[in-house]
Amino acid sequence: MELAVTDITKRFRDMTAVDRVSCRMTKGVYGLLGVNGAGKTTLMRMLCTLLHPTEGGITWDGEDIFAMDGSYRRILGYLPQEFGYYPEFSVHDYLMYIASIKGLRPAAARRRAGQLLETVGLSGSERKKMKKLSGGMKRRVGIAQAMLNDPKILVLDEPTAGLDPNERIRFRNLISELAGERLILLSTHIVSDVEYIAREILLMRGGKICAAGTTEELIEAMPARVWRVPAAKDQAGSFMKSYKTANMKAVRDGVELRLLSEKRPAEEAAEESATLEDLFLYYFGEKAGEGNV
Amino acid sequence: MFKYELKKIFFRTGSIIAMGILLLLIGLVCWFATDVYYVDRNGVKQRGPSAVAKLRAEQKAWAGYLDEKKLRRVIAENKKIKSSPEYQSENETDREIAYSRGQGFEDIRTLLNKSFAREFREYDYYRADRLSEESALRFYENRVKLLKEWLEGEANEQYSDGEKAFFISRYEDIETPFYYDYATGWSRLFEYAPTLVMVMLLVLGYLVSGIFSNEFSWKADAVFFSSYYGRNRATAAKIAAGFCVVTGVYLTAMLIYSAVVLLYLGADGWSCPVQILFSGWKSFYNIAVWQEYLLIWAGGYVGCLFIAFLGMWVSAKTKSAVLAVTVPFVLIFIPSFLGNIRFSLVGKILGLLPDQLLQMGNVVGYFNVYSFGGKVVGAAPVLLVVYAALIIPLAPGMYRGFRHMEIG
Repeated sequence: MELAVTDITKRFRDMTAVDRVSCRMTKGVYGLLGVNGAGKTTLMRMLCTLLHPTEGGITWDGEDIFAMDGSYRRILGYLPQEFGYYPEFSVHDYLMYIASIKGLRPAAARRRAGQLLETVGLSGSERKKMKKLSGGMKRRVGIAQAMLNDPKILVLDEPTAGLDPNERIRFRNLISELAGERLILLSTHIVSDVEYIAREILLMRGGKICAAGTTEELIEAMPARVWRVPAAKDQAGSFMKSYKTANMKAVRDGVELRLLSEKRPAEEAAEESATLEDLFLYYFGEKAGEGNV
Repeated sequence: MFKYELKKIFFRTGSIIAMGILLLLIGLVCWFATDVYYVDRNGVKQRGPSAVAKLRAEQKAWAGYLDEKKLRRVIAENKKIKSSPEYQSENETDREIAYSRGQGFEDIRTLLNKSFAREFREYDYYRADRLSEESALRFYENRVKLLKEWLEGEANEQYSDGEKAFFISRYEDIETPFYYDYATGWSRLFEYAPTLVMVMLLVLGYLVSGIFSNEFSWKADAVFFSSYYGRNRATAAKIAAGFCVVTGVYLTAMLIYSAVVLLYLGADGWSCPVQILFSGWKSFYNIAVWQEYLLIWAGGYVGCLFIAFLGMWVSAKTKSAVLAVTVPFVLIFIPSFLGNIRFSLVGKILGLLPDQLLQMGNVVGYFNVYSFGGKVVGAAPVLLVVYAALIIPLAPGMYRGFRHMEIG
């Protein structure tokens, strides 16, 4: 059970969205972290056979996924970032339709849809029209449709986008529950979505994977160290200009800054343990603050 | 998945409105088509089932072969009516009384007007009133004579010698005398069929326009194409749904229309030649009324299917329902803007455009022919064969175009 991406590149005219990306994934949750426009969605669309790579290849257990055609899609579940649906369909109709195009027989589809609606907490909403559901409910239907065929590969593109904090936590727990014996690739620009559930994290920037590994490995390998620096209010601006700043907290006699630096930024600076958020800041700089982190 | 494709088509608010409009228009067309009247002996116009029954009875009295004897009788009766004081009167009611006496043979009188016109393309409503009984002898002969004069004169440049000979032979080959019967049901049915078929096509064009493109506008494409059957059976189910929608809606609407008109006005005259109808007198198609009916059905169906499939193909290629829905409009209305050029090269091209299929009743009356290796064929069979053949590559074209779609 291995999904291998080898040197894939995707170009759209003169724009390179994904640039010679390679990685190997087996079972477990993989987090694909990157800011908007990093190339995450393009990479995922190639993994879902929606786009052909300009160069390179993707294999599942050694077989080219595009050559596998339907047999690859049979083991695939996908929740796209922009999850579209048929507005006039009820939740039941929607799931039954998706089940039919996933090759499930009606009786099995009914059973599976019922189980999944219970898992995602939507029992009793079967007859509601898709267009009447809240954003969170739609996302949960999205997860249910992706799981209908009990996929070995589950690709979730920004699954928590637009969800409130409670729904995001519920979603994270649900993904942990679903992990089991499958490969889950989850893209996000929200660190907390993957920090505790991902077996491995792939950091993507400018179409490339700039770092990959477990949270601990990535933090360990981060060239910068994290410092807590107490400073007077009028000094804060100067520090922020010179260093990547993870946080600034007002204290009684000034401010306390959390800075990323290879060297000690000030004499009174104290080294602290780095987190995934510090790592994100290190790789993505100011852009890391974009979106709903 | 086929069932859900149909649900996707019919569960849209726009589709429900479109189907409502179609039902309303079927009702209107039926109403117009069945609106015939009978004038009683007091000169009062009557409508409704009893009026239809009376008109039918009067016209049935004249049913039979239109031989010299019958035509003489018609000319004589007509003369008698036209010389009656009621006909000469300025009073509207008196004139209606005069009309009522001749409504049984009014259709035959119309054929006399056509046969004895001074020119092929002329129609003089009062021509029959000036005929002598002896003229009856020349009724069929005149039909051929006027055609020949027209082909040698006005239409001389527009047809090759082979085509002219074809027309003349078709005119000469027709079996005479014609058998006449009451056929108002059919003539009314034929008159309004193009309106119904065109409206139906616009509705069908709308219904099928989103079959492919809505996957993109609803952003459901990514899940669709990443599923097991997304790039094969689910795509085929869309084409099957389009085919069934066109077939189902077309058959249902035409059945309702035909049933209402023929049950109300009667289906008598089905075996008569089309030449006994006002619109069919000049036709070079030596076919019976029921055969023209089948041509109208087949033409409408092939036309609707072709244009709907073309719209679906556009929808699959461009991901745009708007472009797809304009296809029927363009194919129906552009030829009408180009005018009634029927006999030049442009006319020949226009005569092969798909809008012609939607008005097969008119095509039967047009002098559009095509030569293939010295063999001359009328436009009606050419249209049916050409467009039926063009439908065949459209289905795999849509299938291939859609299934290989990349979602960027």
